[in-house]
Amino acid sequence: MTALAIGGTNRKAKIRLGPIVERVLGILILLFAVYWIVINAIDGPDQFVGSVLVGLQNGALYALVALGYTMVYGIIELINFAHGDLFMLASIVAANLMVNVLGVGDLTTATILPLIVALVVCMAFGAFVNVSAEFLAYRRLRTAPKLAPLMTAVGLSFVFRGIAQQDYINGSTQKNWPVNWGGPIIEGVYVYKLLLVLVVTIPLLLAMTYIVARTRRGKAMRAVAQDQDGARLMGINVNGTISFTFALGGALAGAAGVLYFLVQTQTYYDTGTQLGLIAFTAAVLGGIGNLTGAVVGGVAIGLVQALNEGGAHGLGSNWSQSLVFIILIVLMVFKPEGIFGRRTTEKV
Amino acid sequence: MTQAPPRPETAGTPDPVDVNALYADHITIRFGGLVAVNDVSFAIPPRSVVSLIGPNGAGKTTFFNVLTGLYEPTEGAVFLEGRDITVVPPHRRAAMGLARTFQNIRLFNLMTAEENVMVAMHSHLRSGIMSTVLRLPGQRREEREARDAARELLEFVGIGKAEGELARNLSYGDQRRLEVARALALRPKILLLDEPTAGMNPQESELFNQFVYRVRDEKDLSVLLIEHDMSVIMKVSERITVLDRGNLIAEGTPDDIRNNQQVIEAYLGKTGTREGRRRA
Amino acid sequence: MTTTLQRPPATGRGPRRSGPGAVARFRWPAGYVVVIVLLFLLYQSILPTLVTPVANGIASWLPVATINECLMWAIMALGLNVVVGYAGLLDLGYVAFWALGGYTAGWLMAAPFNWTWNVHLATAVPGDYPGTHINFWFVIIIAGVLCAILGIIIGAPTLRLRGDYLALVTLGFGEVITQFFRNSNNIAGLNVAGGDGGISSIDGIGTGPFHVVDKSVPQALSIDSTSNTYKILVLGLLVGVCIFVSLRIREGRLGRAWLAIREDELAASMMGVPLVRAKLSAYAVGAFFGGIGGVANASGITGAVSPSGFDFGKSVLVLLMVVLGGMGNVWGVTIGAFLLAWLNGNGLKQIGVQLDSWFGWGAETWLPRYNFVILGLLLVLMMLFRREGLIPEKRTKALLRTPNRTEMESVGADITEAEAESEAAEANSGDDAAIASAARDVSPVLGQAPSARDDGADGPDGVVRADGAGTSDGTGADPAARRRDETGDVSR
Repeated sequence: MTALAIGGTNRKAKIRLGPIVERVLGILILLFAVYWIVINAIDGPDQFVGSVLVGLQNGALYALVALGYTMVYGIIELINFAHGDLFMLASIVAANLMVNVLGVGDLTTATILPLIVALVVCMAFGAFVNVSAEFLAYRRLRTAPKLAPLMTAVGLSFVFRGIAQQDYINGSTQKNWPVNWGGPIIEGVYVYKLLLVLVVTIPLLLAMTYIVARTRRGKAMRAVAQDQDGARLMGINVNGTISFTFALGGALAGAAGVLYFLVQTQTYYDTGTQLGLIAFTAAVLGGIGNLTGAVVGGVAIGLVQALNEGGAHGLGSNWSQSLVFIILIVLMVFKPEGIFGRRTTEKV
Repeated sequence: MTQAPPRPETAGTPDPVDVNALYADHITIRFGGLVAVNDVSFAIPPRSVVSLIGPNGAGKTTFFNVLTGLYEPTEGAVFLEGRDITVVPPHRRAAMGLARTFQNIRLFNLMTAEENVMVAMHSHLRSGIMSTVLRLPGQRREEREARDAARELLEFVGIGKAEGELARNLSYGDQRRLEVARALALRPKILLLDEPTAGMNPQESELFNQFVYRVRDEKDLSVLLIEHDMSVIMKVSERITVLDRGNLIAEGTPDDIRNNQQVIEAYLGKTGTREGRRRA
Repeated sequence: MTTTLQRPPATGRGPRRSGPGAVARFRWPAGYVVVIVLLFLLYQSILPTLVTPVANGIASWLPVATINECLMWAIMALGLNVVVGYAGLLDLGYVAFWALGGYTAGWLMAAPFNWTWNVHLATAVPGDYPGTHINFWFVIIIAGVLCAILGIIIGAPTLRLRGDYLALVTLGFGEVITQFFRNSNNIAGLNVAGGDGGISSIDGIGTGPFHVVDKSVPQALSIDSTSNTYKILVLGLLVGVCIFVSLRIREGRLGRAWLAIREDELAASMMGVPLVRAKLSAYAVGAFFGGIGGVANASGITGAVSPSGFDFGKSVLVLLMVVLGGMGNVWGVTIGAFLLAWLNGNGLKQIGVQLDSWFGWGAETWLPRYNFVILGLLLVLMMLFRREGLIPEKRTKALLRTPNRTEMESVGADITEAEAESEAAEANSGDDAAIASAARDVSPVLGQAPSARDDGADGPDGVVRADGAGTSDGTGADPAARRRDETGDVSR
């Protein structure tokens, strides 16, 4: 016969060890993590409860910052290195506004009004700075090779840090603010702190989901994220939509700044880099570009970090940055697309 | 790894893995719930010129990506000269003799034509960091030979004078030629050409047909063409495989394909109208 | 737009051998040597003879210590240039290698944490000094290798990912290394690297090179460890070696692979370039240089290492040197490093002093404090207005100036293609069932494909053969074979 021989073969496919080993290792690591959490819970139940509360509180903050990363990445594929530092600036603005201008000291129910003022101001501040950065820098680099906007973001991050380091802003050491918390304490956690964070964060997250999923703006955002040219042809204002995304991200960072200041009662110029790294890890953990993922990732990392710092078998806060980094590396190896993300391959 | 169920060896039917230069066995690719390629078997005999065609969205590109190693098939296996390469990464496939060009020319724009070709020799060259830094005699000889080979290849595709030009400054046609030269530098056994005649006029297409056979004969390899334009393919191919919406609907000589009812329908009938709707 | 890279379309053997470029090729290396020698002579012989105002001017604007710092930073910038400039990988944690190099020097060239043994190897340190004292040149190699290994370990899991992820992972790596050294006084109960205090009194460069133990060597060769002037020669030599290696390496097989990856990763892999290996080697070479820079810094500049010196700011400073000078261009990067190291070390302060003497702003104190802001702004402005740097690499100029049109187009085309494909697949499985069933009607075999595959006896299964399934006499039916029968039967 001269027709092509395409009748099928008896060859056995090779058994591949790689994926199996990878899967087994991944499961082992996961099991170890679960085991670690469980023995923490068994050996120190009180610390465990406290850590979970702290983790929730910090995780909510991380989620707010992570959302800013994930949205900007989702729409223009830029890791906005300056985002963490924007958050840091917002925390300084919040501190100065609440303590120096509005005279907040002991936190009581009367603080609610200054809090709302600070939230509004800081969110506006964050949005304004982020949109300006987009307008002045990133927008001009949209057609440039990817390295250029990335480096610009690094440069801006540097500028923000440099500004915060000035003595008349925050100085180059940690600055403690005379803000005092009261109320009940469970396992070393101020209940009101946790409540405050949740009360502010949850509505914000819901609002964000609503905006992206339901509104016209949100639809435009998703369209631009998929295909800028296509969106433009469909009459969507691409520049406006991208600006809007930056504004949302900046506003969230602003809100996170206020909360961070109130929770930690201190400000530091290096917070941005540290927390930014954590928040980005959270975004990657959840699947970058995915809003729910960012929130879940933020809370997860918050919990792990809190357990590490306060749990019975934790390594202590000296190593928290390293722990987050190890999570990031493990993620990169085993599940770079994150929990909710989809694996993407370049098309030819 | 999934595989075709073993079947009894029937007399007179040689194992396609052995007789073909490349054989793709029951390839299925799913993206989530979407079946992009559905149980397609495909063979490239040694020293042949075969084509894979299909209307837009037929799954050609996806299938092609399985052959080159960008995608791993959900089911099925790919064999290159009897070796299972289903999970071999793209660069190793290239080194094993599977070379390709790109539908949208993807040269290294800021490297010269000669350097472009020499990049593809990477897997054949040996010199490491130390010998490069110290420029040991072995490395110098190797570089010289590579450069000579690169120039020969550029001559072969007809752009011998352009060796020092940056790839981005070449004309469109020359860029296509350079892509072929670059692919040939891998000393391939199979050359995959992805829509090679896109943007060519009829005369150029005619020249291209001759060129394909010259490459096949002089470089002793098989050529696989991917096209959506039937007219080009009919002239150049020895055998044609037609995909439509992920399914293999026909395989045969150009004459067979021309008269095949399903192919005609796929191109003119239902798919045509649906595409018309989509464009409207 | 220049169309050729300084190479006439000659038929000679190598472009590097073909005449006209030869002089140009040695202009920069010769210039570099002259500059280093002149600088050395300036501080060694000329400066003491000058009149005081001129000598003081030079000493305050360009002190010897700053020159040495500039040279040390040039090593770092050249290393990062291999990673960022050659291979196009953004590394934001380069400081990690600097730190590790520094600590290697601390471990091998000092007596930290009351070490009681004394290991000496070809060093000028008096034999009864406690601690480990190994010759500077050996330590450089050791540190380089150590850093390269670390680079491979850290790069292996991440380099197969997208470039922007790499930037972040390296940033994290830089932070973690600092944290490691900060906690290093108690790692599982062991003092590994002295914690916050770090390691101090590291042997100087001068105790190394030619002056082994013997004091009888001529003074020019037996370098006094306290003399900054001679360090110009030593560090200058190191920078020279780095330049040499950078230049050579880019012209070989590996350098081409890096350039190809920088331009089009996917195409490079399709042309047989192993992406991860090539990137790893770029990363390792960069790390090697970083280790050298670390030793040079710890031994030659500061004489001590502590975690606080290795912050994110240093990584960005080095990155800025590369960008300012011109990514990929070795000479540009060297000059960029000199400029910024000077500005960061002494220049800003000196400019402040100058401003004060003119306007009395008190700028001497506040201007250096803005170095972060100034450097950051500089990076942003460079990216916006002169991405190719001060002395652009010929290729990069074009790369960064214009958007890569073909890539944009291909992306567009790919999206259309992908959409069309998924749409078709959707239609196939979903609402266009009518079409699918019609197709089944036309081709019964298509509908039966799976079953045909199972029983497998009837030859070419599941496939509609245009020449009729099972007909095994296609000999004459192949026009292509007929047309070019000289090529033989294609199907055999």
